[in-house]
Amino acid sequence: MAKIGNGRQSVDTRSIRTINSSHIDDESSLGSDSEINGFTSDRRTDKYGFIGGAQQLGATDVPPEVLRHREVKWLDMLNHWDKWMIKRFDKVRLRCQKGIPPALRGRAWLYLSGGKVKKEQNQGKFQELDSQSGDPKWLDVIEKDLHRQFPFHEMFVSRGGHGQQDLFRVLKAYTLYRPEEGYCQAQAPIAAVLLMHMPAEDAFWGLVQICEKYLPGYYSPGLEAIQLDGEILFALLRRVSPLAFRHLEKHKIDPILYMTEWFMCAFSRTLPWSSVLRVWDMFLCDGVKIIFRVGLVLLKCMLGTREKLKACQGQYETMELLRAIEPRYMQEGFLVREVRILEVPVTSRDVEKEHHTQLKRWRKTRGELNLKPPPRMHGARLVLLADPPRRQDLKQNPTIVLEVPQPTSQLKKGKEEKQSMKKKSKKKSQPIMEVPNPYPLPNEHSPPPSDPPAMPPVTSKTPETVPQTVPQTETLSPHQHCAPPTDLAPAKDSPHQQSTQSLSSTELDTYL
Amino acid sequence: MGSDDGYNFVFKVVLIGESGVGKSNLLSRFTKNEFSHDSRTTIGVEFSTRTVQLSGFTIKAQIWDTAGLERYRAITSAYYRGAVGALLVYDITKHLTYESVERWLKELYEHADPHIVVMLVGNKTDLESERSVPTDEAKEFAANKGLFFLETSALDSTNVEAAFNIVLAEIHRKVSSKEVIRGSIGAVSLNSSRAESTEENKPCCRNI
Repeated sequence: MAKIGNGRQSVDTRSIRTINSSHIDDESSLGSDSEINGFTSDRRTDKYGFIGGAQQLGATDVPPEVLRHREVKWLDMLNHWDKWMIKRFDKVRLRCQKGIPPALRGRAWLYLSGGKVKKEQNQGKFQELDSQSGDPKWLDVIEKDLHRQFPFHEMFVSRGGHGQQDLFRVLKAYTLYRPEEGYCQAQAPIAAVLLMHMPAEDAFWGLVQICEKYLPGYYSPGLEAIQLDGEILFALLRRVSPLAFRHLEKHKIDPILYMTEWFMCAFSRTLPWSSVLRVWDMFLCDGVKIIFRVGLVLLKCMLGTREKLKACQGQYETMELLRAIEPRYMQEGFLVREVRILEVPVTSRDVEKEHHTQLKRWRKTRGELNLKPPPRMHGARLVLLADPPRRQDLKQNPTIVLEVPQPTSQLKKGKEEKQSMKKKSKKKSQPIMEVPNPYPLPNEHSPPPSDPPAMPPVTSKTPETVPQTVPQTETLSPHQHCAPPTDLAPAKDSPHQQSTQSLSSTELDTYL
Repeated sequence: MGSDDGYNFVFKVVLIGESGVGKSNLLSRFTKNEFSHDSRTTIGVEFSTRTVQLSGFTIKAQIWDTAGLERYRAITSAYYRGAVGALLVYDITKHLTYESVERWLKELYEHADPHIVVMLVGNKTDLESERSVPTDEAKEFAANKGLFFLETSALDSTNVEAAFNIVLAEIHRKVSSKEVIRGSIGAVSLNSSRAESTEENKPCCRNI
């Protein structure tokens, strides 16, 4: 079996010595990736997967009932995606602003970004790219970066582990998909964030969409698009915080010196994790203006008062300040609120207008752009309209289907797999089954002890209460929830169980 | 901005070189005495400072670090502005990183002060067994180009202090000896009562 070189050693957050894991094979029974590198169990992983727990601070805690409530709505939206996007996009946006429920985030991101449609319309493409060997020049650079993305995240902590492998596959595939673009280092964190929520193929298409629709030209040779956006950001700052603007101008602080990592990584390397997720929820819904808004909020908070400016007399001090944003400004609740209700509103139109102005300026001072990227899509709806999907492109394909022997022939049979957050399954229009809930909420009856979670019995003697998540009609997630039996009324009878209501229901949750 | 240690000079030094040669770890080793096998890819600009004593003067070294990947060269002019020293780093185990040194030099001279002090640094001497760049070859190249030269290991600290100190000392020598026309090196001199009285005050980012 595989050996661990140095065994368990205490690690500090600064220098995590990686042990030779090259001889640790996939079949290793050593456990999760994070265990391979000698992390002991006293190194706790937070709910996002980060080791050390620093990411927990500042996160908003949403009560489970609210989460379930939101999940129902999201499931419904995902089931009728085109209708919601075309007719009720304002509602989609509102729900993105409130935060996508973690259980559905990966799927929602894939749909919002248009990655889902791209994937369905290009079936087999990723596999084709995955099987090719790739340009050694790019592979060399990519390999150097694999262990340098979120090294404290359990998915990426182990060299040669599954996370790093998938990261390699996704990035390599992109260089083959767009050989003229090749690889840009900032794509790695983008791909990594996606991989934390979805499998490699999905992450690949998500990356494609971000690179081509949301942030076109950002990762291209010449990096002209990011420079242009730096100028746009600076110009917009003038309206949002004249004080901050004047300070940056006076000290000749080029936007590139502070906004590069922010924008190219969509703040995934800057903000606490709960804020990153909220920003990405909004970003994938509404496009780059969210990134601009976050940047403007941070600049305004850090440099927007005379008091604060007293502390930075020069270029260096100012940059130090911008690199150490006060946690309270990055905290999820505060940041989302500020971005949503930015005093001086910054719309996609504002961004485009300023883009036009800055482009003219660029042409005057630096000549024509070397690379003209495709036009930017300002949000999920525009992405969808630009590439209208066929009905089947939006269909969800269950990857976990519970095999429950039933007398009726209506049930589809499928494979049973290990439960995984990424692979949630759905079925359409199934007859309601009574399946005891192995994971009851507190106050509910627990199932008979003999029930193993993976194999619910055929008949249920004691109708168990279930979390009120699943609408009675359309959708069913057999491996986790079950539809409430119609004659059962032990739990609260909430209106939000009905999917038809969600289109017009008043928003009951006010959690921002 | 009052720090209790007054300083006489602020010298901006940039780290340049191919991706993965160890720039970020040289930075962290020198300014924080830290090293990490998994330090994050540098995107954008990183920087850190350390104050050193040289010939009785207090010098604040502002070390800047940026992405090494080719396409990031497009955005480096702001990065070079005001730099008075540079460490051009390659990886002694990766000959390709040494081969691009000429290109880096060219870029450096295109964007930075012509009097910039440059040291060629061969990093990762802890991996001696995988060496692919002979010391003498690099030493000779450096001599030909008028560059300082050292081999270092950010991992075990070998020569890291020396590398920075030599560059800083040379910058200081140039500034103090008036070898350079005053003002063409953008060094900030503060607390001028301790420095030479004719030293000018200049913001260190001023374009030369």
